[in-house]
Amino acid sequence: MTTTSTTKPLIEMRDVRKSFGTYDVLNGIALDVREGGVVCIIGPSGSGKSTILRCINGLIPVNSGTIRVGDFAVEAMKTDRELIALRHQVAMVFQQYNLFPHRTVMQNLTMAPIQVLKENPADVRERALKLLAKVRLTGKEDAYPSQLSGGQQQRVAIARALAMQPRVILFDEVTAALDPEMVSEVLNVIRDLAGEGMTCVLVTHEMRFAQEVADEVFFTDRGVIVERGPPKQLFQSPNDPRLKDFLDKVL
Amino acid sequence: MSMQMRTFILGMIGVPALLALVFLTVYGEQAGAIIARILPRVPMLLTGSADFSSLEGGFVANILISLWSMAIAIVTGAMLGTGLIARSAFVRLPSSLVMNLLRNSPWLVVLFAMLYLLPFEIEIFGFTVSLSPAVKAVIGLALPVTANIAEIFRGGVQAIPSGQWESASSLGYRRLQILRHVVIPQALPLMVPNLMTMYSMLFIGTSLVVVTGANDVLSVARTIIAVDGDAVATAIYIFVLLLFFLFCFPIAILTRRLEHRVGTSHP
Ligand SMILES: Nc1ncnc2c1ncn2[C@@H]1O[C@H](COP(=O)(O)OP(=O)(O)OP(=O)(O)O)[C@@H](O)[C@H]1O
Ligand SMILES: [Mg+2]
Repeated sequence: MTTTSTTKPLIEMRDVRKSFGTYDVLNGIALDVREGGVVCIIGPSGSGKSTILRCINGLIPVNSGTIRVGDFAVEAMKTDRELIALRHQVAMVFQQYNLFPHRTVMQNLTMAPIQVLKENPADVRERALKLLAKVRLTGKEDAYPSQLSGGQQQRVAIARALAMQPRVILFDEVTAALDPEMVSEVLNVIRDLAGEGMTCVLVTHEMRFAQEVADEVFFTDRGVIVERGPPKQLFQSPNDPRLKDFLDKVL
Repeated sequence: MSMQMRTFILGMIGVPALLALVFLTVYGEQAGAIIARILPRVPMLLTGSADFSSLEGGFVANILISLWSMAIAIVTGAMLGTGLIARSAFVRLPSSLVMNLLRNSPWLVVLFAMLYLLPFEIEIFGFTVSLSPAVKAVIGLALPVTANIAEIFRGGVQAIPSGQWESASSLGYRRLQILRHVVIPQALPLMVPNLMTMYSMLFIGTSLVVVTGANDVLSVARTIIAVDGDAVATAIYIFVLLLFFLFCFPIAILTRRLEHRVGTSHP
């Protein structure tokens, strides 16, 4: 996907600004993701990567700029109903898994589709079983999150996101809290999803993985996109000195 | 034997023994005669009737008043507590005002206020409901307890990590749905020990309803003393203390057990 595409992107952020009090976190972010694309966001800690993801699914309101996801103008969304319709399309997976500890694995997957989307419970459960198989956790339906390893919990979280049947999934450093030996089992699941054409936006410190799966990589620093491009170009011949500096540190 | 079991047995034997010692010290060789005089009054103190024929007064009334107050205060406290954590300042600030006012009001003052504020009877949807002293006592006690439960509720909800709110929001849950399906089920086990402690305090507080004219154990005790003479007063009050202890102490022990379990358990 290096040539110009005629279809408009699924996600489009234009000049997005966000501050917490007097502290400017995002200073004019522009970013786009085509349907089926895999985009990685890299950058130093505190540069605003998580904030970008939270803005895309409307978890936090922006100060100015526009965010379009499909047909939704996220920055203009006010009512709960609009936000729910958006979150039906945009799922998110967190660094700390954030599974519901008082519910079983199965319930974690089926709760929101049944309670929020009002889907038929039997259909949802059938879908959940398939998703558990997909993340290689068949047999864990009745386990509670605390009985699972970190890598297993994160895979449940990915299955929970998929159970919403979203058009795009946002991953926020989903392997950062994991023990090293569990990182690959989670990355394998994400690799499968990317291969199946699921649109993914990944904030990650796994540079090698980014290089492997991403169509495009965005480097953020202090709330702006400093450099963007195909992974090969970005990693092997970076232009901006800040990116060079960052790559020197992490690679 | 567990630590709490030991404390329990020790307390159930030791405290009555201590009260007995006080009793014996006060009455000396008259002790036997006094016991013979107050023993026939025990059914009256427990139930408000001389022969257990009805269960409406005396210590039973204290139990009933405490249960009604608690039941009401749990509902109103959860509502006020939801107001305390509302996003809108129009809901949050008035809730906080009401909570702070009620929580810092002496219970006896609230009870007196109810006595004069609440009418003798009220009309709801065409029905005339008479507000008996017991009903006023229930309302008067429920008010400060509501405020305390609202605080317990707020504390319990805020103890749940913000990641739970975030992930539930990202799954499309609305605020009240998150409270209901995600946060409160996790916060409830944390809140139960505090609620039980609150109930113990409420139960001890039912001794104050004597001022409303409800037929509670203290009202009965005062009537008995008026009839039988001041000589039995100390004995009667020691007996009432024993009743309160026997009711509240097991709750305290159970609370400690639960606290212990909440601290160590997994779902
Ligand atoms: N709710 C908030 N209130 C105030 N400041 C915030 C809030 N959320 C984020 N920030 C600040 O905004 C800045 C950017 O945060 P963000 O989480 O987006 O960074 P990040 O790039 O994801 O960093 P990391 O790699 O550490 O996760 C940080 O300095 C952070 O302290
Ligand atoms: Mg982050």
